[in-house]
Amino acid sequence: MNLRVVGASLVVSLKSFYREKTTMFFTTTFPILLILVFGTIFMEQDKVRFDLCVQDLDQTETSAEIAKALALSGRFKLTRVDPAIDATQYARDNNVNLVLIIPKEYEKSYIQYIQFDDPRAFVNITYVYDPSSSSVITKMQLLNLAFAKMNQGLSAKSPFVRTSEISIHTKKYRFIDFFIPGIIAMAVMTASLFGSVNVNTELRQKGIIRKLSTTPITRTDWVLSNILYQFLLAVISTTAMLSVSYAVFDVRLQINAWLPLFIILDVFTFVGIGMILTRIVKEAQSAAAAANAIIFPMMFLSGSFFPLEMMPRFLQTFARALPLYYINEGLRASMVFRDNAAALSYSAIIGIVAALVFIVGITATRWEEGI
Amino acid sequence: MTTEVEYVIEVENLTKRYGSLMAVDDISFKVRQGEVFAFLGPNGAGKTTTVEIVETIRRPTSGKVRLLGMDVTKKKRDIVPRIGVLPQGFSSFDRITVRETMQYYSRLFGCRNADIDGLIELVNLKDKAKERYMKLSGGLRQRLGIAIALVNDPEVVFLDEPTTGLDPRARRQVWEVLLGLKKKGKTVFLTTHYMEEAELLADTVAIISKGKIIAMDSLVQLIENNADYLLLTVTLQSVDEKAFEVVGKMGFKPVLNNHRNINVRVERAEDIRKILNAMKEAGVPLLSMDVRKPNLEQIFLKLTGEALHEDTSGGRGAE
Repeated sequence: MNLRVVGASLVVSLKSFYREKTTMFFTTTFPILLILVFGTIFMEQDKVRFDLCVQDLDQTETSAEIAKALALSGRFKLTRVDPAIDATQYARDNNVNLVLIIPKEYEKSYIQYIQFDDPRAFVNITYVYDPSSSSVITKMQLLNLAFAKMNQGLSAKSPFVRTSEISIHTKKYRFIDFFIPGIIAMAVMTASLFGSVNVNTELRQKGIIRKLSTTPITRTDWVLSNILYQFLLAVISTTAMLSVSYAVFDVRLQINAWLPLFIILDVFTFVGIGMILTRIVKEAQSAAAAANAIIFPMMFLSGSFFPLEMMPRFLQTFARALPLYYINEGLRASMVFRDNAAALSYSAIIGIVAALVFIVGITATRWEEGI
Repeated sequence: MTTEVEYVIEVENLTKRYGSLMAVDDISFKVRQGEVFAFLGPNGAGKTTTVEIVETIRRPTSGKVRLLGMDVTKKKRDIVPRIGVLPQGFSSFDRITVRETMQYYSRLFGCRNADIDGLIELVNLKDKAKERYMKLSGGLRQRLGIAIALVNDPEVVFLDEPTTGLDPRARRQVWEVLLGLKKKGKTVFLTTHYMEEAELLADTVAIISKGKIIAMDSLVQLIENNADYLLLTVTLQSVDEKAFEVVGKMGFKPVLNNHRNINVRVERAEDIRKILNAMKEAGVPLLSMDVRKPNLEQIFLKLTGEALHEDTSGGRGAE
């Protein structure tokens, strides 16, 4: 080993790194941004206050106390739900993942339990919940913990507060059923974005684009052939994912025309974003870093893995501006809930985004060299 | 538009500027149908920028460029199907074979009847037709690039430094292909920094230096116009100091070359006779002698004051 040689090579690498500003940004600034954003989320996790809708069917002072106790725990921000309306419908209509129902005769049972010392007396608090929500489990665990503490405080006898769960969906779903569409959306996004970035930077650097620009192929022909290629890859990978999901997890998903539609919109959106990226970032290395910089926030912020509710408000708002969120929701609406109206509205939103991004992407793709 | 034009390329006052750098500085030239036109100049002279403007890849800052009678900035779609281009640093899809690559490009041009086998044979790649691009050597890759440039039977072929970076053997093989094109009567626009290439192939040579054309003529005329001296080479039987003294005393500047060769630049043919007589009288044993006009490289040096071969490995960046 020759240290002089190692040192000289190191200097050359550092200079190249310093002189490629975009690589510098994505290597230093981007991870710092990630740390700041996610650090804030995790640091604030103890202080996170979940939205909690409470429907008090008892409407007594005692029943109001339990709701108050939950609010005082600091973990929940309460919203009152009119006792006259149907909680399940309310949850569906308002996109609420959990409604806690305090039953009628709560006060009566409480008196029975405390004053008459009746161990058989109890109340059944119902969670009307949306099993597709990734944060609902955490919310239910926190509630269970709060009720366990209450029970401990009341007496050592049999628990007074008991809970039961009702899904807002008429059919029974498992988490895997909601998870698979999210994974499909994400896998197609990753393949399309990286595919587009790689093809464009590599072929440009190798001069193949320059050669193609001296043939009758137009920029649009080239981009469309790439989209088609990415779509075929997406169909292959989706088929593979679904086959494994059916074989191993016995998922119950609806496969219909929405699936290829959302896949093609997913492909159009992210190939388009990839084309815009390659215009901004010229070096292949930086382009890959930039693609990662797009993919990671999308993965975390679009609700595939990470509950949106746990994030600060501004991030939740930001997440709803991400295209992957709408592809996720659209695929779930069509594959899980068979809700054509919802799928249509999500597809309309992502359709507009895909068209815009694609047009900007085509315009951004350089076919001629220089100006 | 298929009208026959005498000049297939007409460039008038072409300028290309990149920020403060003037890559091409107000140049004008014309290329006749059927001729091989060589753009000769060192790396960075502006050859590639010029050819890429003519072949519609780049846009000029100012000036007019007409190719096959059409404005290159406005009629790209009409021009492209009628030209063939081997760009500088040509490359292709790594995992696609020679034959598949040819088929791909012929489809791009919509040439159903392209003679792919004939072209593969023309560039001597018959044995490699099923080889993937990534497995081809530099010379084979360039030959494939030339075959692709011919797939649409173009009226004008642009070859941007077709042999840069190749070893001498591979370079000769490419030259053979190019001589074949010349025989076929194709109009060829060639950029090169190899003087031998221009000498071997070109009908007209334009010498470009620092963005300007400094000389342009047929090869013969270019040498004739600029050859104001002759180069006498005398080969001695053995190294002889006396020969040096004799020639030096006559007012010439002899240069020893290859141990036994003495080169002398003379302005008149009669000087040659005088030198030979003086040597004979002094008893210098001569083996042979040779008189030549200066070649293109020496003329280039004379005109530009810079060497043609700063870098024989060849650069890839646009000039």
